[in-house]
Amino acid sequence: MDLANLLLIPLIAAVLILALEKCLRRNHSSYPQARPYSGGGDLSSHAWCRFHVRYYPMALLLIAFEMEMMFMYPWAVVYVAEGIKALMEMGMFLTILALGIVYAWREGVFRWQ
Amino acid sequence: MILNELLLPIFVVLITLILGAGVVDYLHHATSALGKQMSLRRSLNPLAPLYRLGLALSQQSVITEHPDRLNLRLAPALYFALAALGLAVVPWSADFIPADLVTGMVLWGAVEVLATVVIFLCGWSANAHLPLLGAYRYVSLGLSYMLVSMFVLIGVALPAESLQLSAVVESQREIWNVLRQPMGLPLFLIVGLGLTFWGPLDFASSPDLDRGISADQSGASRLVWQLARYAMLVAFSFMAATVFLGGWLGPWLPGPLWLVLKATLVLLILLWMGHNLPVMTPDKFISVAWVLLLPLSFVDLIWAGALALW
Repeated sequence: MDLANLLLIPLIAAVLILALEKCLRRNHSSYPQARPYSGGGDLSSHAWCRFHVRYYPMALLLIAFEMEMMFMYPWAVVYVAEGIKALMEMGMFLTILALGIVYAWREGVFRWQ
Repeated sequence: MILNELLLPIFVVLITLILGAGVVDYLHHATSALGKQMSLRRSLNPLAPLYRLGLALSQQSVITEHPDRLNLRLAPALYFALAALGLAVVPWSADFIPADLVTGMVLWGAVEVLATVVIFLCGWSANAHLPLLGAYRYVSLGLSYMLVSMFVLIGVALPAESLQLSAVVESQREIWNVLRQPMGLPLFLIVGLGLTFWGPLDFASSPDLDRGISADQSGASRLVWQLARYAMLVAFSFMAATVFLGGWLGPWLPGPLWLVLKATLVLLILLWMGHNLPVMTPDKFISVAWVLLLPLSFVDLIWAGALALW
């Protein structure tokens, strides 16, 4: 039942919103209205063009941490049973990762270049 | 059996989100009027959310010239579905839990991560510059708050020795996590503001981008997007009340009522933060999140770990 609920709840929620939007939509807009708003500026290019994401080094750093989260979930469950050993192990692991953050900070990863 | 275990949970989750979104709308505008010299009588009118609903329904739904039609429709639906998924793992009492997953905490983590994707899709699908800029800004925010949230939630899982939310609630019988791990809730509230791009962390639809991802929304499509966003704030409030304020535990009153009261309290704190904290710029927040909030969440985890072994 838990799994059935877990599948049905988001499914019904999504369908509900799709149906709601479809029923409530009053779509009689004219062609000039469909022009993107763009703050009154003149559109010289398509919006879906190459875009320089200024924070990409930060995004790369995140991947390292996300992998580390994978280890932390099972670790959290056995932590009290394993005791001080688990604390030390994760402490060392986090220290190494924290050094990585300090290095990344010094290199200006968290500034938009 | 089908009625109690299948239909009732679905009904409760969806009704909570939809009614909760109305409550968020009411409280948001009412608390906004309290701070400014606005007409209180009009803002405190309990029918005010219905007037705003009617206004949205009477508008045209203008969509941009060449949008990504599939994602334009899907983004609000998926955002709302994620809110429903997050609320589904929250226990309402000892025996009423819509989806009592052993890995409930991991599921909530997945909801937070996928929300970033969905919010990006919303900005992407309009095929216009301002929404797209809001979307890229949001991704920088999403990537920064994610780790803080994970560390704080792992800290909560330590005393419970489980990732199951019913076990997390049980572990708070003697003392709530908000007292046991005092840094947890403030950090988690910042995550909540990020998850719904609310107040100081509203980078995706900020006024300097002329409402960013919402710049080209109108009528029904804006209505469902805001509904999904408010619903996410509701789901977050329930989750924060469950992991930090003891969830449904409490004397005299029945469990679900305690949960609703605590979630409303979290919601009020979030709305207060939204009205009163200074707005950040996205580039500054990256530094603050990684250099200040992330080390603080490390300290929170070490604190939680040391206390769990005590």
